[in-house]
Amino acid sequence: MIPSISSSRFYRVSYLCYVVLFFIFLITPLLVVAAFSFNDSLFPSLPWNGFTLDWYLGENAPKLGLFHDDALLESIGVSVQVAIVTTLASLALATCNAFLFEREQFPAKNFLYVLMLMPLVVPGVILGVSILVFSSTVANWFEVQFDYDFEALRPGLVLVTLGQFAFITTIATLVISARLRKFDITQEEAAMNLGASRLTAIATVTLPFLKPALFGAGVVAFLMSFENFNTTLMLVGSDAPLTIAMFDRLREGSTPVLNAVSVLLMVGSACLALVSLFTQRPVKQ
Amino acid sequence: MQEDLACTLLSKHFGEFAAVDEVSFSIPRGAFFSILGPSGCGKTTLLRMLAGFQQPDSGDILIKGSSVLHTPPNKRPVNMVFQHLALFPTMSVAQNIAYGLKRKGVPKREHATLIDDVLAKVQLPGYGDKRIDQLSGGQKQRVAIARCLVLNPAVLLLDEPLGALDLKLREQMKIELKRLQREFKTTFVYITHDQSEALVMSDHVAVMNKGRFEQVGTPQELYYQPKTAFVASFVGDSNQYAGTVKEQSGQLITIVTEHGVRLLSHGGQPMPLGSPVTLFIRPEVMQISTSRPEAEQDNCLQVTILRMLFDGARSQLQVETSEGAVLTVALPQTADYQALEPGRSVYVSWQASQCLCFPVATETQPEAVQ
Amino acid sequence: MSAEPSNANRTQYRLGFWLLLAPIVLWLGLLIILPHIDMVLVSLRERIASRQYEFSFSNYTAFFTEPLYWNTFVRTAVMSILATVLTLIIAFPVSFYIAKVLTGRPKIALFILCLIPFWVSELVRTYGWMILLRETGLISGALQWLGLVDQPVEMLYNDVAIMVGLIYTSMLFMVVPLVTTLDSLDNSLIEAGYDLGGSSWHVMRSIVIPHAMPGIMSGCIVVFMLTLGNYLTPTLLGGKDSLWFTEQIYTQFITRFNWEQGAAFGILLLILSSLIVWLGLKITRQSFTRVMS
Repeated sequence: MIPSISSSRFYRVSYLCYVVLFFIFLITPLLVVAAFSFNDSLFPSLPWNGFTLDWYLGENAPKLGLFHDDALLESIGVSVQVAIVTTLASLALATCNAFLFEREQFPAKNFLYVLMLMPLVVPGVILGVSILVFSSTVANWFEVQFDYDFEALRPGLVLVTLGQFAFITTIATLVISARLRKFDITQEEAAMNLGASRLTAIATVTLPFLKPALFGAGVVAFLMSFENFNTTLMLVGSDAPLTIAMFDRLREGSTPVLNAVSVLLMVGSACLALVSLFTQRPVKQ
Repeated sequence: MQEDLACTLLSKHFGEFAAVDEVSFSIPRGAFFSILGPSGCGKTTLLRMLAGFQQPDSGDILIKGSSVLHTPPNKRPVNMVFQHLALFPTMSVAQNIAYGLKRKGVPKREHATLIDDVLAKVQLPGYGDKRIDQLSGGQKQRVAIARCLVLNPAVLLLDEPLGALDLKLREQMKIELKRLQREFKTTFVYITHDQSEALVMSDHVAVMNKGRFEQVGTPQELYYQPKTAFVASFVGDSNQYAGTVKEQSGQLITIVTEHGVRLLSHGGQPMPLGSPVTLFIRPEVMQISTSRPEAEQDNCLQVTILRMLFDGARSQLQVETSEGAVLTVALPQTADYQALEPGRSVYVSWQASQCLCFPVATETQPEAVQ
Repeated sequence: MSAEPSNANRTQYRLGFWLLLAPIVLWLGLLIILPHIDMVLVSLRERIASRQYEFSFSNYTAFFTEPLYWNTFVRTAVMSILATVLTLIIAFPVSFYIAKVLTGRPKIALFILCLIPFWVSELVRTYGWMILLRETGLISGALQWLGLVDQPVEMLYNDVAIMVGLIYTSMLFMVVPLVTTLDSLDNSLIEAGYDLGGSSWHVMRSIVIPHAMPGIMSGCIVVFMLTLGNYLTPTLLGGKDSLWFTEQIYTQFITRFNWEQGAAFGILLLILSSLIVWLGLKITRQSFTRVMS
């Protein structure tokens, strides 16, 4: 079962085969997507018509490449914007939450904590529609009371950002709280003992300690926002983030340009993943 | 002599529990002052009040003659070496030391010299660029001390900083701390539950129990002239023998044990006849002899050897008296005692002036701590 | 006398406390609690004229009287539970392999390999399966090339395709908690189990699985939630007739603009998911906060 306990050769080999099969199952769809972005065909399917970079660089329809497809590029821009705002907002709130739950004692703390976890168990579609319903209730109320149309509360990027922020904050809070829990509070006392005020102590000692968690939570938040579909679908207006734009194209019938976008996403995510892996681990000499 | 630190009637209660109970003391400038007590005696609370992390319920704290009760912890002229050191792992050694300098507003160009100086004094020259996790336990200790001493505090508080070290390193650091204290001439307030740390390093030791100071004195005073039964049992090893007062003439007290054995002891206070007392006899004051000593001894008992506890120069003999009490006697490693073996009958004797007796306290006393 | 600074201190603390409390209350109140309350209110009304509503259970009665609705509902629930169980069964041996069999570099490498596919959008992953499974896709092509079939086979748009996609999509959320909890199990406990005469099966059942229970539950809860609330995978891999409940919600809200009905569906789905999560926690005697953190 574990290496220190001997087991039969048959058991070990079949176990290994299972694990290998699992990883083939895991990787194949991605490899296929990547491979077909180089297929010189109008459809992302067999037969293989030879290698081409047209789906990246092609300038004219029907083989309009990714880097000349303004609609797709624009949607990437929208996604990046939304993701940056969501990430920064959720990191800020998550840090406050972490300090609140780890440092303060107050009545109903457990209740608030459970409430804070709720967004994790609310399906994304429902989170989306509930915010949609509530925001339009508020917007309608403004319209009736003040005869003012509250644009931000109608489906659009503001609502998309709020919707993503609503559940990403929970995840960021969990990551940052876990790190803050490991912090030795006497370090803050030591800082104060050496002459720092409370806020200076937090800024110079506690926050640097939290930095890996802040960075990690930031990367996760960015990716979750960038890739979010369910909540976004319900709240989206005329400006479509990338996932929505790709979904619409997929339903229309796809061209390999979607494969090209996918490859771009894979490369981007892999880079982020690697960067976060290397920064999370302290350099050992 | 001017006092660096003084406390008057300092108290701190947690609910009904008195963690620190009307403690008063003063420490002369440049002294190494230890507060020795078992865990839970209130010594950490006392230290945290001195540092400003806890507010006393009543009483006053004076540093260099002025009250610091209204001074927040970051403005007090005291620095603290924390129990687990609390070095900042995200900063290098030099940055750790510079932390307090920055907060004090010391000009940046002076930092390098100050840091190099203090690192040299703690015998870590050239360690400025190391990360904290590259240091050994003893080196971390030195950095934690350097980080405080670079600020020239009026008082340095040390909260059992040697607790986490292994035995050998702890012995070295005791001497090292003493040396540093001499060199910097700073007042050290050191709290510990380890009597050996307190005795070896300190000029003065306060023995603390249940929120109060039992006795304040030099290590020698505490060891040879304990004023209470608690101090007698807590500082150093002692054999304890129960009995009642039979007779008292001046400071010489005659005690009778349950089975009628008469023992003579020194007693510092008058005790009513018939009252229960505890006799404290240090292992090293008892003489072992294979035959009854010729000269008249104040106390002499015939005992049977139970077992030998060999520990080099600290070897001991456990013996049983005729009435069943077990005593521990120091066993000098000389040829005279080579022939001793369990089961053999020997004599132990000691002078009345070398043992002490105290009335039995109504509360239970702690076990003698090694 | 000494009360002054401690009071000042306390005020500062209190202020800090309120400053920390305010944002979380705003967040939970405005983005989680009030929207859900509002959704309940909307689901309990019926439009009788333009901008004229009255209290009614009609949206809920519609759900129970229309077989399509509750069939879809039950089907979604059953398939989600099935997908969760299958994910657990597939992921557990792999997690155990990573956590307990491997050590050092291969362990980290394989764990990262496990994570990497999930740094990529769900859409891309589902798209990959579409390319594999469709009539002109790779698997169909491979089968023809091998001579097993003589014409293209359509493997998309059926329940198996949906299931494969759901399991694939959820895998990460099962593997990560499992590896984490299994990793925290001290090897010497397993060795002690053997040493005291336990069989592999017995050690697994009485030592490994009880230890991994919080991880198993948190993986199951997250996978179940994601599956139940999934829209993308059933729609793309199941086609028009995938009959997934979230599609019903989308249809009511976006296509038919019948928000009252959609809100009622949303509430029903929420009740269903809470109920099943609660049951799962009760059966395995785990606490929600412990499992989720």
